[in-house]
Amino acid sequence: MSTQPYGLIAMYDTPADIMHAAEQVRDAGYKFWDVIAPFPLHGLDRAMGIRRSRVPRISILGGITGFTTGMSLIYWVGAVHYRVTIGGKPFFSPLFAFPVSYELTILFTAFATIGGMFLLNKLPMHYHPVMKHPTIDRGSNDRFFLVIETRDPRFNPANTRALLETSGGREIAELEA
Amino acid sequence: MSTHDATAPSASRTGTTKRPAPGRALAVGLVGLAVAGLGYFVSGPASFAMAWLVGFIYWIAVALGVLLLVMIHHIFDASWSVMLRRQFEHWLSSFRYLLLLFLPLLAIAWIHPSLIWTWMDPHFNLAAIGGHGLVGSDLDLHKKAAFLNRNFFTGFSLFAILVWTGLSGVFRRNSFAQDRDGSVRWTMSSRKWAAGGIPLVAITLTAAIILWVKSIEYHWFSTMYGVWFFSDCVRAALSLGLLIMIWLWCRGDYKGLLNDNHLHSIGQLMLAFTVFWAYISFSQYFLIWNANVPEETFWYNIREYGDWWYVSLFLVFGNFLAPFLVLLMYPVKVNKKVFPWVGIFIALVVLVDICYNAMPARLTPTGNPLPFFSVNLVWVAAAVVGMGGICVWSYLRSFSTAKLIPIRDPRIAECLTYHKPNAD
Repeated sequence: MSTQPYGLIAMYDTPADIMHAAEQVRDAGYKFWDVIAPFPLHGLDRAMGIRRSRVPRISILGGITGFTTGMSLIYWVGAVHYRVTIGGKPFFSPLFAFPVSYELTILFTAFATIGGMFLLNKLPMHYHPVMKHPTIDRGSNDRFFLVIETRDPRFNPANTRALLETSGGREIAELEA
Repeated sequence: MSTHDATAPSASRTGTTKRPAPGRALAVGLVGLAVAGLGYFVSGPASFAMAWLVGFIYWIAVALGVLLLVMIHHIFDASWSVMLRRQFEHWLSSFRYLLLLFLPLLAIAWIHPSLIWTWMDPHFNLAAIGGHGLVGSDLDLHKKAAFLNRNFFTGFSLFAILVWTGLSGVFRRNSFAQDRDGSVRWTMSSRKWAAGGIPLVAITLTAAIILWVKSIEYHWFSTMYGVWFFSDCVRAALSLGLLIMIWLWCRGDYKGLLNDNHLHSIGQLMLAFTVFWAYISFSQYFLIWNANVPEETFWYNIREYGDWWYVSLFLVFGNFLAPFLVLLMYPVKVNKKVFPWVGIFIALVVLVDICYNAMPARLTPTGNPLPFFSVNLVWVAAAVVGMGGICVWSYLRSFSTAKLIPIRDPRIAECLTYHKPNAD
């Protein structure tokens, strides 16, 4: 067991404070850090320097898989495996295969989106070191927290603490891992 | 519901800075209409009539889409579209000119209807379009005569355009009046009018497009037709809205007002209506293909003849697949250099879609349509440019009569900070 702490946590009172603090931490070049807020803050992603989610790339792969699954399933069933003439229609046409393929596109896109989201945000997470922080429950009520992890290459106990202080953070504390 | 009256964000931003020159648009419009008129003498009256019809349908579609978006804005109490709504209100002034532009079509209906609508002329010999017998002895028409008769056509067309003009007038008056007194009652009034106006416009535009375009092939059946036209209306209007936003951004008026989230929102609607158009068009084709009865399939058979086959394929890939894939991407929707080209492209494919629905209806004695790529396309383009010039002229004339954005709309502050950090 390493005795190194998980990171440093600081508390802020208003959305404006946390937004400006996030900008400073972002500009200082930190990579492994996070903000805890009781409600979504418009523009926080930009203040934290977070790029757009990569979930859509997983979604489109799901969509393409769904579409080709539908088309090839109907082709294989109707034109290869069990050929039956119905109403003088061809054994396979993308026209009648389209509604099913389209439904499967939506279904597989939804699966890929949900799955991709859980894959990328690493939820469900049953343990997180901030849960041990005595006042963390305020983070789901009326306070804002900023956590910088010790594994960040720029982390330095004294400098990082100083940065949190100058950014307006209060009750700065070490988090046990 | 918000009951407060918002104040202006800053006076310098909201005044109209440069006044555009509507005169040039009017000149373009008149030249376009003159060139279309030339078609009468070069390609004959029927080509001229079809070109005029396509031009009229395209711009009435744009105006109807704008009217629908304004009403949808009011009924949802939307915030992001408040500043674009003002530009749409200016565009709504075009309905009264579209009423004038409809009069030549009305003249055709009464003087020489078989140029477009053969069903109005009981003595018209269907052999001229590949059929047999006279229109007057066509049992199919007798069954539909309660709706398809010239008096109803005339009365309903005028009624519909007057309803649209009247509704437009109400929304324009309410919005401009709010600029002066800042009262929230104008917003309430618009919301009530929108609640009644949406079903009214839905019904009138369906019946109008059936009378104006679908009835040219009066044997045909499709319950999707009104919805198809609705989707084209809204797609054309969204493209117009996007182009106006970018135009005002480039002019400098929207600097500091427009943010990426506004563009993203209109992009999402464009994506949604691209899918909606595909859904409607595919459903219509699919049901007819599946049922495979001659009373319905002939419509598509005509549209697979000659170069119309390639137009059909272009609609599948150009009107749906290409815009769909491009609009899926977020970076495109917030890129002020690339996104307007998507808008221009969609505005053009909607025109092709209207051509595809209207033009092949004019048949030769062999029962086949005239080709898409012919000199007739020049007259269609001229009519579209001409009537477009008139609509732009009407928009620009209205543009300088009111503030750039509805500064006292209750939702204007929300619109200007749309999804932006609220911390500063």
